[in-house]
Amino acid sequence: MKAVFTFSLMTLRMLFRRRTLWGILLIILLALAGIASVPSFDVSNQGRFILDFGLFGIEVGALLLALGLAATLYPRDRETKTLMPLVAVPLARWQYLLGRFLGAALVQAAALLVTCLGLMLILLFHKLPIPGDLLPATLLIIVEGWFLLSTVFFFSFFTSPPLNWPLTTMLFMVSQMGVAEFVGLLPSAPGLMRALRMLLPHADVFHIKDPIAHGFDVEPVYFLVAIFYGLCYSAFMLSLALAVFRRRDLK
Amino acid sequence: MTDVRPLQVKELSKQFARKRGLGSVQAISNISFDVNQGEIVGFIGHNGAGKTTTIKCILGLLKPSEGNISLWGSLPAAPLARKRIGYIPENPDYDDSFNPMEYLNMFASMRGLSGIDSDWMKLLRRVGLAGWESTGIRQFSKGMRQRMSLAIALQSEPDLLIMDEPTGGLDPIARKEFRELILEENKRGASVLLSSHILSDVETICSKAIILSRGRLMAEGSMDDLLGEEHLFRITVISRKTGREVEETIPETDLQSRIDSMRKDNLTIVKVERALKSLEEVFMAATGGVKQ
Repeated sequence: MKAVFTFSLMTLRMLFRRRTLWGILLIILLALAGIASVPSFDVSNQGRFILDFGLFGIEVGALLLALGLAATLYPRDRETKTLMPLVAVPLARWQYLLGRFLGAALVQAAALLVTCLGLMLILLFHKLPIPGDLLPATLLIIVEGWFLLSTVFFFSFFTSPPLNWPLTTMLFMVSQMGVAEFVGLLPSAPGLMRALRMLLPHADVFHIKDPIAHGFDVEPVYFLVAIFYGLCYSAFMLSLALAVFRRRDLK
Repeated sequence: MTDVRPLQVKELSKQFARKRGLGSVQAISNISFDVNQGEIVGFIGHNGAGKTTTIKCILGLLKPSEGNISLWGSLPAAPLARKRIGYIPENPDYDDSFNPMEYLNMFASMRGLSGIDSDWMKLLRRVGLAGWESTGIRQFSKGMRQRMSLAIALQSEPDLLIMDEPTGGLDPIARKEFRELILEENKRGASVLLSSHILSDVETICSKAIILSRGRLMAEGSMDDLLGEEHLFRITVISRKTGREVEETIPETDLQSRIDSMRKDNLTIVKVERALKSLEEVFMAATGGVKQ
């Protein structure tokens, strides 16, 4: 595992040195500032509005970060041939995949925590209270981000980055849908659509922005189950990615 | 008995599927060869002959369609066998945001090596990168990247060095330094598989050569056997008419009788040597080139 940790550290340092991370982070923070500057009629509404759209902004940020950080990692490694000396000698393919994933996941988590801090500052600036569940809500978005990251890795082993973006975004949108909405896409085959919906990820479990915005408490068990689900689904996507990567000829 | 040969390739074939299901391309076909302990083996062939494909199969980057590869008797994927290999890829590149010292430290950690900065400084000095240890790789020329690649390959003191066109695009001085390093490594005990277009490099340092053409093995053998394949000898005598040296090439079977007849004729024999062909001639003959 030492090789995996070293490689993830190498990935982390590499991603921190790239402009992509800082560009996406700036976009998310500007979007949050934009949300906060929208005028509202009364103070209680404004708090709800900032929290609701702020957490939505952080969630979209998780998608952007997953795509921006990971969609080009493997294709770029192959194109520049940096992959060959790595996979030929010191690393097995699973170590390469896990190292890249862990490095990107840590960078993504750090960036999302910064955006959460940004949201807290906006609330403080407007003299609004910071809900206790804001940090756990961000943690759930981080787990959702890891699931998206593993999806991006999976697609990156057999598609180009321009195709990875729409595919991951599509899966992200589908994963937000409820069963009824999903069945509505193809009403003639409700059984098939229900079964398909069961298999596809349920990113809606990571969303607790509505209860937080409306001041309701969220049970700690819910957090744990949602985190467990997110980690399991990420591991499943990474296993699929590894199965594809193992079969690939590195020409 | 355990096979201790560093590399054994048996009846290796590799096919690549064409895009959109339009059949397949046979990249290499039924190749067999060995690299024995302490050998420097030249792996030569024209562009597209299958050298890089063979090397990538050996390293587990490509899956062979048929045939077997063994490294010290193990499969190429075996971690213990992989640890004993140093690999220099063709046109190596590294992430621009790191410097050589960072790279060497990271590779050392990934390989479980215990070296420290001063060891890597020595290594960088050895490959000609002294003074560049803290400079970002983005500022490196092609030659410097190749030196960097050599440093990474030599870092673990490998038992088998696999080099894919390591001197391509280097200036003559750098090429000479590379050759000297390869010989030093061989002296240390490393076996070497050197893929190269530069026949003079192979001729100078290799003890054995493998010639590929269109994915097939065309010739293989020790350098002495390949270059002196037809067992011809060259006799240099001083001409009685002109007083100048004259050369005569004759088959080994006639050598003794010809020397006897020259002595009978009172000719001064200056030297008798094996008439070696150049590797270029051997290569051209083996690959169907026009030069014989």
